[in-house]
Amino acid sequence: MKPDPIFNIPAIEQWGVDTGIFGWMNSQWGWPISEAIHFLGLCMLMASVGMFDLRVLGVARGVPMEWLHRMAPIGVIGWLMAVATGFCFVVSAPSQYLHNPAFQSKMALMALAGVNMVVFYVIGASAAVRAAGPDDKAALWIKVFAFVSLAAWIGVITCGRVITYFRPPYFWCLWC
Amino acid sequence: MIEIFGWIEQTPLSIWVREDLSAFFYILIVHAIGMALLVGGGVAVCLGMLGMPSDAPLHKLRGFFPVMQIGLVLAVISGFGLLIGYPAKALTNPVFAVKFAFLIAAGAVMWRMQLGLFPLSERGEVLPGWRRPAAIAALGLWAGGVIAGKFLPYTHHLLMVS
Repeated sequence: MKPDPIFNIPAIEQWGVDTGIFGWMNSQWGWPISEAIHFLGLCMLMASVGMFDLRVLGVARGVPMEWLHRMAPIGVIGWLMAVATGFCFVVSAPSQYLHNPAFQSKMALMALAGVNMVVFYVIGASAAVRAAGPDDKAALWIKVFAFVSLAAWIGVITCGRVITYFRPPYFWCLWC
Repeated sequence: MIEIFGWIEQTPLSIWVREDLSAFFYILIVHAIGMALLVGGGVAVCLGMLGMPSDAPLHKLRGFFPVMQIGLVLAVISGFGLLIGYPAKALTNPVFAVKFAFLIAAGAVMWRMQLGLFPLSERGEVLPGWRRPAAIAALGLWAGGVIAGKFLPYTHHLLMVS
C-alpha cells in the first residue's frame, strides 16, 4: 500500500485530538449534534439555492427569481454550518472519509457546484436573473446552470448518506 | 406490542430492508432527499413570511408547496420502509414520537398560514401580526423535526434484530 502523499492521516488524527475536536465528537452527544447541524445546514442550502434552482427550472412560476436570488446569504450560512461540522467529522475519523469514494465523490460534486456558481456570476447570468419579472421564464442557458447546481447538491446529499454506511474494503486513494 | 414488532421483523419485507445492503442504502438516500425538499421548501416559505427579503409576494410562495409535497411523499414512503426494517427499535424510542410531533406541528402551522395569510396577500390586504410568530414557530418546528431525526440512531434502547 502506497503512502498518501497529500493527507497525513496519523497527523490529522493527532491534530483532532490536540484541538479537542476528536474528544467533542466522541462525547455522548457530539456526533448526533454535529449531524443535526450538518443536515440543518443542507436544508438551508436547499431552501435558498435549491428553491432558486427549481424556480429557474420553471417551478413556482410567479415567485420572482430575483427575490430567491437575494436569499443566497441563507444558503451561505447553511453551507458554512455544513462545512464546519463536516470538517469535524473528517478530523475525527480521517481514514474513513479521505479514502472513501463516497466522500471523494461528495467533495467533487461540491467543487462542481462551486465552479458552476462562480461561472454563473462571472458570465452575467445573475444579472439576467435579477432583471427577470415574476412570471418570466429563464433562458435555456440559465436553466443549464440551475440544473447542474440542483443535481450537484442532490448528489452531495446522496453521497453524504452513502459515506455513513459504505466502508471501502480496501485503501481507496486515487491520488496515491 | 413487542410480539407484533417481532412478527413484523420476521416478514420477508423487513428482512429484505435490513439485510439487502443496497435496499437500505437507497431507502436512506430517498429519505434524506425527501426531508431536504420538505424542510428546504418549508424554510423558504417561512423566510418569505418573515419578510426575508422584503416585498415578497407571499401568496406566490404557494408554488413551493408541490416541492414540499414531493418531499413529503418521498420521506413518508422511505420512512415507512425504514420503520418496517426496525419497528421495535423505532417505535419504542420516544425520540421517534418527538420527531413526528415536530413535523406534524410544522405542517399544521404551515397549513394555517397558507389558509389565513395567502388569500389576504392575494387581495393585497394588510397581513395580521401573527404571521411572524407563526413563521418563527414553523422554522423551530422544522428544525426540531430534523434534530430529532438525527438523534434517532443514538437514542434507541431496544434492538431485537441487527
